[in-house]
Amino acid sequence: MLKIFLNTVFRKLFLQKGYSLINILGLATGITCSLLILLWVEYELSFDSFHKNNEQIYCVYENQSYADGEVFTAYSTPAPLAAKLKSDIPEVDKATRITRTWGKLMLTTDDSTFVENSGLCVDTDFFKMFSFPATMGNPNLVMPDDKSIVITESMSKRYFDQENPLGKTIIINSSFEYKVSAVLKDSPKNSSLYFDFLLPFGFIKKNWGFNLKNWDSHAFRTMIQIKSNTYIPNLETKIKPFIKQNLKQSNADLALQSFSDYHLHSISGKKLSPILYVRVFALVAFIILLIACFNYMNLSTARSERRAREVAVRKVVGAHKRGLFALFMAESVFISFLAFGLAVVLVELLLPFFKELTQRDLSLQFTDPTLLLSFAAIVTFTGIISGSYPAIYLSSFKPIRILKGKLYRDSHFFRKLMVITQFTISIGLIICTSVIYRQLDFLQDKDIGYQKDNIIYIELLDDFHEHYEDLKENLIKIPGVLKVTAANQMPINFSNSTSHITWDGKSKEAENVLFQLSFVDYDFIETFEMEVIHGRAFTHEQGADSLKLVINEAAASIMNMSYTIGEKVKIWDYEGEIIGIVKDFNFNSLQVGVKPLVMLISSDEFKYIAIKTDGNEEPIINNIRETWNKYFPNIPFTHRLLRDDFSYLYKAESRMSLVFISFTLIAVIISSLGLFGLSSYIIEQKYKEMGIRKVFGAEFQHLFRSFLIRFLRWILLANLIAWPIAFFLMQWWLAGFAYRINTSWLEFLGAGILSLLIAFITVFYQSYKISSITPIKAIRYE
Amino acid sequence: MKKFRTDEVETTALNNVNMEINEGEFVAIMGPSGCGKSTLLNILGLLDNPTSGELYFNKTQVDGYSERQRTNLRKENIGFVFQSFNLIEELTIYENIELPLLYMKVSSSERKKRVNEVLERMKIAHRAKHFPQQLSGGQQQRAAIARAVITNPKLILADEPTGNLDSANGEEVMNLLTQLNETGTTIVMVTHSPSDADRSHRIIQLFDGHIVTENMRQKL
Repeated sequence: MLKIFLNTVFRKLFLQKGYSLINILGLATGITCSLLILLWVEYELSFDSFHKNNEQIYCVYENQSYADGEVFTAYSTPAPLAAKLKSDIPEVDKATRITRTWGKLMLTTDDSTFVENSGLCVDTDFFKMFSFPATMGNPNLVMPDDKSIVITESMSKRYFDQENPLGKTIIINSSFEYKVSAVLKDSPKNSSLYFDFLLPFGFIKKNWGFNLKNWDSHAFRTMIQIKSNTYIPNLETKIKPFIKQNLKQSNADLALQSFSDYHLHSISGKKLSPILYVRVFALVAFIILLIACFNYMNLSTARSERRAREVAVRKVVGAHKRGLFALFMAESVFISFLAFGLAVVLVELLLPFFKELTQRDLSLQFTDPTLLLSFAAIVTFTGIISGSYPAIYLSSFKPIRILKGKLYRDSHFFRKLMVITQFTISIGLIICTSVIYRQLDFLQDKDIGYQKDNIIYIELLDDFHEHYEDLKENLIKIPGVLKVTAANQMPINFSNSTSHITWDGKSKEAENVLFQLSFVDYDFIETFEMEVIHGRAFTHEQGADSLKLVINEAAASIMNMSYTIGEKVKIWDYEGEIIGIVKDFNFNSLQVGVKPLVMLISSDEFKYIAIKTDGNEEPIINNIRETWNKYFPNIPFTHRLLRDDFSYLYKAESRMSLVFISFTLIAVIISSLGLFGLSSYIIEQKYKEMGIRKVFGAEFQHLFRSFLIRFLRWILLANLIAWPIAFFLMQWWLAGFAYRINTSWLEFLGAGILSLLIAFITVFYQSYKISSITPIKAIRYE
Repeated sequence: MKKFRTDEVETTALNNVNMEINEGEFVAIMGPSGCGKSTLLNILGLLDNPTSGELYFNKTQVDGYSERQRTNLRKENIGFVFQSFNLIEELTIYENIELPLLYMKVSSSERKKRVNEVLERMKIAHRAKHFPQQLSGGQQQRAAIARAVITNPKLILADEPTGNLDSANGEEVMNLLTQLNETGTTIVMVTHSPSDADRSHRIIQLFDGHIVTENMRQKL
């Protein structure tokens, strides 16, 4: 029985090569896309799931309320919080503070010096909470004292090569001695916590003199592990006022986020959080698979006229409707398995590119039970969905009618609906892709209010402020260097803020407004070509500018003194005078608008040197390196380009848009195959009619016109449906950006024209094919 | 000669057929099933090409004609009537009859005049707005004849025109064809029916792709 079945199926596949090819290829393409997306989605969802205690771990975060109604949400919490939570709240089993080391550190071994910024400072509970297994050292006592450093395998290899690293000394910033107490496996790629080495939390105090008892400084991440059977809402209520209980004047409430939500969910309720992309892509995968199935259905029913006689004969010799239904279903599932096999090959071929595109370490593993189940589900889903309609349609043919030459004709409504749906989706995808592409392009090229091109910047190590003036003098001498300046942060991502700013007549609404604070060098404003709209920028000549402030428009409008240069402003205990106002410029991702900003001069805070060049970067960078090596022979020179960092801000979006564009392209191709299938179906049905028309004098253009009108109606309808949907969807997406483009009618028209063009080409081909056959063949065709 | 090829088998449908049909003649082609009658008719109607041999229409050699030339020659000079009527199901009787005129780019007022005329002549004017399935076989065949004559062709080719009709309706169709012949139209008809063949001037008997006999008949 099985042998007969396989025989029949293969014979059919080979008899109708072109049809089989389109059918299997279309389905395989659809499955390939869904598989690729599925791999990516699975990877994204797998983040941090390797921690055994994953379900019990929570991030503690703050909602800081400001008087203007703004709520600032961040993972930054005070240093004493972790220990206090653990001691005061019984549900909290373990707690650790986590912070990335602040800026670069210089690590010295017996033989060499390295500059690192991939270290974390943690409490000892860290090792009991998270599953980063130790390969060397005592697994139960990974960090025995506050002079221990824990390193990863790859760092061990880098620092000590094949030697046993345990007990070796690493000196940090030439002052603090640490001994390697354990070696951990490198953190997996799907870990949110990424590090090369771990230091005891006390390092923060040792190196930067930070007061770790201060409740008013929100700078560290706090993570807790709860006891099992803890009722989370209760715990949240307990934790919420915890900071205020310890510091009356605080404006911060605490909240919990499950660690398993950490990677994909944003705590600030930002609309474009990664989970959105995961959901959108899961939807896209589903849609592509559905389109491919629609195609299959279309093509199969299109061929059913040919199979009608087979059905009739089978029925006459005794086949039941149920048996025929099963036969067609089996055929369909079998073909979807063939397509699936092809898809697996395609996935393997495309995976390297897809990995590059998504920047994720994806792989196709057949040993993974979730993945296997998903695959089985995809194949069965595809087979059943694509086989169902043809199976129902074919098995219900009435044998007598068919044998007499009269075909059972349905209303074609279902098929029309499928093609219209397919085209609606494709047109919608084309429009969305174009809007997304333009928006991201716009963000890249938007006049952000300062010059980001041709700026090289170098991060300074802690103690190098004293060399700054000297270094600057030498750097400016390099041919091609136009300006050299410094600041505590680059305009790419200002993050230093305070609400401790007062001025005469400060209103209640301005209470607790968060101001960005930038410590800059004299020529900072000129270097970045920021526009001064009132007053002046800092100058050396007028001296004593160290007590002067330059603010931005947003700050001026909050201070309600936009035209008053010379006002006094107090920052903490420090009184300054406003000398100028710069036009608002964007110092954060353009998803966020412009925040109030205060700039003042303070060389003690400098962390970056920025060098503006004439654009001829290569030789200039070499020269800067030489100069650098003269001053800091032991410290490897590293530099960044501001323009690259700016692109990086939108990397997630650009990467996603690239992936999105690729999949849209595929959806459009599959839809075109669908139209091709449908037009061959219609033409098959109209075969005889076209023959009659030809006998009575019809030529190519007549046939072409009559087909075209038929298809154009559907395509126009698909456009009418797709346009408003795409429009509202894109309005919603764009609303997530503070700076955005408007959707253009050209995008809609373009998608419309493209869809018409696809229809035009397909119909042209089919009409040409039918007009070139001998008419009598068509008439004889029954 | 006409050969048909499928993948492996070559079938010779017509072989060494030499014949001439004069203007104004009514010729019947007879013979058993599969003897090549319809193939001959299709070649005469330029619907099919002979594998080898020569074909003249109005003293012009046409066997080497391109598809376009054949279409043009066909739509101006030849009308077709089929056993299974071959009316287009989606079009009304009126539209079916109008079809050849559309392809000849006849003006709309002229089309209307000529279609109405021929509808009257074929006694199906009351059926103009109906679809083919709504008509009886006889009516459908009259509509098919109307479509064949609408362009005033010199030649009408009829492939078993009464094959799907009862005797009364068959009689009526034959009367129409005879009338057309009397007004000067050349008719070539394939038939199995001796009584229908009796209406012709000449009967050609085909067997296995050969002409076996040719009988001249006196006009009745």
